[in-house]
Amino acid sequence: MIQLKKIDKYYDAKFQRTFILKGVNLEVKQGEFVTIMGPSGAGKSTLLNIIGLLDEPSAGEYYFWDEPAHKIKEKQKVQYHRSHIGFIFQAFHLIDELNVYENIETPLVYRSVKGKERKAMVADLLDRFNMVAKKDLFPSQLSGGQQQLVAIARAIIGSPKLLLADEPTGNLHSEQGEMIMKLLKKLNEEGMTIIQVTHNEDFAQYGTRVVKLIDGLIREDYQVENRK
Amino acid sequence: MILKVVIRNLLKHPFLNLVKVIGLSLALTGIVFIALFLKNELSYDSYHSKSDRIYRYTITDPDFLGGKHFARTINPGYIPELKEAIPELENFTRLMPVRGGLIKYEERFYNINEAFECDSTFFQVFDARLLIGDKQKVLGNPASMVVTESFAKRVFGETNPVGKVLTLPAGQFYGEQQDFTVQGMMKDFPSNSHFYPDFITTPGADQFANSWAWTYLLLAENANPENVKSGISVYLKNNRETNPEEMDTQVHLQKLNDIHLKSHKLREIEPAGSLTNIYVLTIAALILLLISISNYANLNMGMTGFSAKYMFVNKLLGSSKYSIASYFFIEGLFIVVTTSILSLMIAFPINSLIAKMYGLNLLNGNTFSVAVIVLLFNLSALILGMTPVVSFVSSLFRNRTKRNVSPKMAKGRVSSALIIFQYGFSIALIVSVIVISKQTRYALNSSIGVNEDNIVCFESVHSSIQQKFKVLKAELLKYNSIESVSAMMEPPGGEANDMFPFEMEGYKTDEQNQEYDRIGVFPCDYSFASIFNLQFLSGENFSKKNTDADGSGEYIINEAAMHRLGYSEPDKITGKEFRLIFSAPGSGIEIPGGKIIGVVKDFHLQSLKSAVEPLVFFKRENLWLLNFVISYKPEMQAQALNDMKTVWNSLFPEYPFQYEHVGAMYKKVYKAELLQARLLSVFTTIALFISSMGLFGMALISTQRRVKEIGVRKVNGARVSEIVTMLNRDYLMWVGVAFIIASPVAWYAMNRWLENFAYKTGLNWWIFLATGLLALGIALLTVSIQSWKAATRNPVEALRYE
Repeated sequence: MIQLKKIDKYYDAKFQRTFILKGVNLEVKQGEFVTIMGPSGAGKSTLLNIIGLLDEPSAGEYYFWDEPAHKIKEKQKVQYHRSHIGFIFQAFHLIDELNVYENIETPLVYRSVKGKERKAMVADLLDRFNMVAKKDLFPSQLSGGQQQLVAIARAIIGSPKLLLADEPTGNLHSEQGEMIMKLLKKLNEEGMTIIQVTHNEDFAQYGTRVVKLIDGLIREDYQVENRK
Repeated sequence: MILKVVIRNLLKHPFLNLVKVIGLSLALTGIVFIALFLKNELSYDSYHSKSDRIYRYTITDPDFLGGKHFARTINPGYIPELKEAIPELENFTRLMPVRGGLIKYEERFYNINEAFECDSTFFQVFDARLLIGDKQKVLGNPASMVVTESFAKRVFGETNPVGKVLTLPAGQFYGEQQDFTVQGMMKDFPSNSHFYPDFITTPGADQFANSWAWTYLLLAENANPENVKSGISVYLKNNRETNPEEMDTQVHLQKLNDIHLKSHKLREIEPAGSLTNIYVLTIAALILLLISISNYANLNMGMTGFSAKYMFVNKLLGSSKYSIASYFFIEGLFIVVTTSILSLMIAFPINSLIAKMYGLNLLNGNTFSVAVIVLLFNLSALILGMTPVVSFVSSLFRNRTKRNVSPKMAKGRVSSALIIFQYGFSIALIVSVIVISKQTRYALNSSIGVNEDNIVCFESVHSSIQQKFKVLKAELLKYNSIESVSAMMEPPGGEANDMFPFEMEGYKTDEQNQEYDRIGVFPCDYSFASIFNLQFLSGENFSKKNTDADGSGEYIINEAAMHRLGYSEPDKITGKEFRLIFSAPGSGIEIPGGKIIGVVKDFHLQSLKSAVEPLVFFKRENLWLLNFVISYKPEMQAQALNDMKTVWNSLFPEYPFQYEHVGAMYKKVYKAELLQARLLSVFTTIALFISSMGLFGMALISTQRRVKEIGVRKVNGARVSEIVTMLNRDYLMWVGVAFIIASPVAWYAMNRWLENFAYKTGLNWWIFLATGLLALGIALLTVSIQSWKAATRNPVEALRYE
């Protein structure tokens, strides 16, 4: 599904080139739940952003379902964001001015889904996440875990093939974190491909595979044995 | 230390800070000039120490010249008797214009712009600084003259003028030539005086009896003007009226200070100032003040976000509320000082421009006023500009984390109100500019002789030149470049006020009012209708000579006169027998009786503010033809003017060759309106500029605030175009609201303004549509720059976790 070949990402300062990623090769198959781990500044988020088409590699090739993603234009990227990729973030990134219902609805609006259909889809998700009672609340009125739930709901409402999670539990205490991880695992079991970045060794055990990144290089890549 | 950081931070955002400074400077400069102009206009004639007791005396009589209200009083010989009769009347002075426009000194003629024959009491009523001479004695004898400094310099150079003899040449208004002796010299009258005579002089013989004079009364202290008025009425009834029982004469007293702005009588010394202009300018100044300062405050508010981190770290390091507040204060001080310097730099060239165009040196002698205005403006900018910042500083000290101190703007409600208000004013201003320009253009284009602008006028030529009109005309027509030469009673733009009794075949005079049944008259040369291309509705033009035998006299009337005489079809009135009656015993003047030979379409000689009066045109030779008009072939302008000069100098070598284009003369008639249009367009541009800059700042702030939201939306599949639309929508809505609010206000205001005119262009819907689109377009352009920038940013930057 995803194939990265010799991906470099660097910034040029006056006299030297700083590499964030160097020669990253990575293949992710459909249905995998990959955890990218590594110390701060290892390039985890950059790698995730490149996979999510939010950032461009400085060199190398990236194939998304055999399409050369390193070559596609800005306009086509929008199409990918609309139908193939969902995002969740450490800081949740809900829109403060919109309530729960409207936040979840946003991607559907951009995909020009009809109002009635939207309503049904959002209601369905709210039901599934047990959040029906909270649909009129604003993000500031929710706990961190609840906010992340909304963010996940928003990310998957368009049923994307790929869910990218950048430290989804980083802002949550462990109980809420586990709840989120269980949900991600369930989504994975239902067939969604997930790539997450995390610091937490325990939470890595929810996935199927771990990739360890140090100073922009992949140092380890192994399957999880005792999956939680 | 603070200053260093302030300067560094200001330089970090050069564009936004420049916007602040330019916005404030433009407004400040505008306000300074408006204030000085208003000061000049509103202080008219108040420099006279007794100005609150001086009144101008006028009378109206419905039976006399149609009850028209003249600024001058006719036959004011009785005024000294009033002083005897009314104890509350302390003094008086009469000003009689010195006509003819020329005065002779040592065989050379000099132009007089304005001069009066006056009573010896002039200096007891009015203030004027005498450089030579004693106020009590200088006008003591007949034919004593006091000249102004500039006139003395023009005529006598540096030599002492006292004792010099000036000669007023013989002319039709003074039977004989007259000599005056200079007895004193006075300072020129200030610009805020409603008269600026070159000289004043006591008359040679008592000429006040049969003349017109502006009459000023000095009331005793604490006198009640109403008592004086009724006193004059009683006097007139007892002494002047042939039929005291039916006296219709109304007495009017007008305060000296009110003359400049509130007096719109006929034959004023100078055209009155415009009260509308005063209102318009006051409003413009207020708008500028409000827009610029609110804008400055707005930008300040938005920019606090830039230094939020600096402030937060400072706070952690232990700085106090006051040291942070002082940072903003110094920043503000820096801005207003720069603003003042920039304003002064703009002000000087503008002042010399105004001085050149309107002869008004506004900065001169007003240093103190300017300093006060600049100080007040800066102070209010500083205080009001700091207000939003203060709330920021206090929120900084209330909250714990930096994330929460970025400016929150109560859902932007204040700011949107601001934009609605700024754009509302801008829209109203644009509408006003369009309407005023349109009306002025319409008025100018409707005036006679303006369209091709190939007609020049020699205004109020001296009577000895009038006598030679025939020769001048014959000589001029020999030249290939000259098209036509004519002469007329009133100059283009002048008032035709004279009325004669008349007789007409089939016309029944009103029995009651027989003596007063008169019609407006206009003596002219036979080519008058052709030079101005008047349109004949019926009949034909004058025959090509200026004298006719009794019985074959020729009269042309305008449409208004046709209606006045009771006809509605031009063809029916042409050919009717008609005669104007002129009775001045001993003058030897007779107007030949004859027929109405033609009817011309109404045309505008006078300003479009007054309705076209009924007029009868008739030919005269060498009499009452005060103004010469000459048209030339448009493509030969230089040649024609040269030829005119040649002819003039050969016929009248000692008289100055002075002419003006008719177009320029009409522009003088609409001087106030043209000035309004010009000033308003300047202020509209400034207001629009400042508002747009404000909008720009707002957009900057708002997109900054919404960076995260934009990022989230993009990640969720929003296109750049969708983001731009979302960001622009609110602003456009605000401009729309501003338009809805401003339109009816502008419509009402402009309707009122147009009421000044008897003939007006309509308030078309397209004016409003165009204005709305213009405002919307400018707003859209301004905001889209920001929106586009925000929408095309990489969302990764926005969503990076801090």
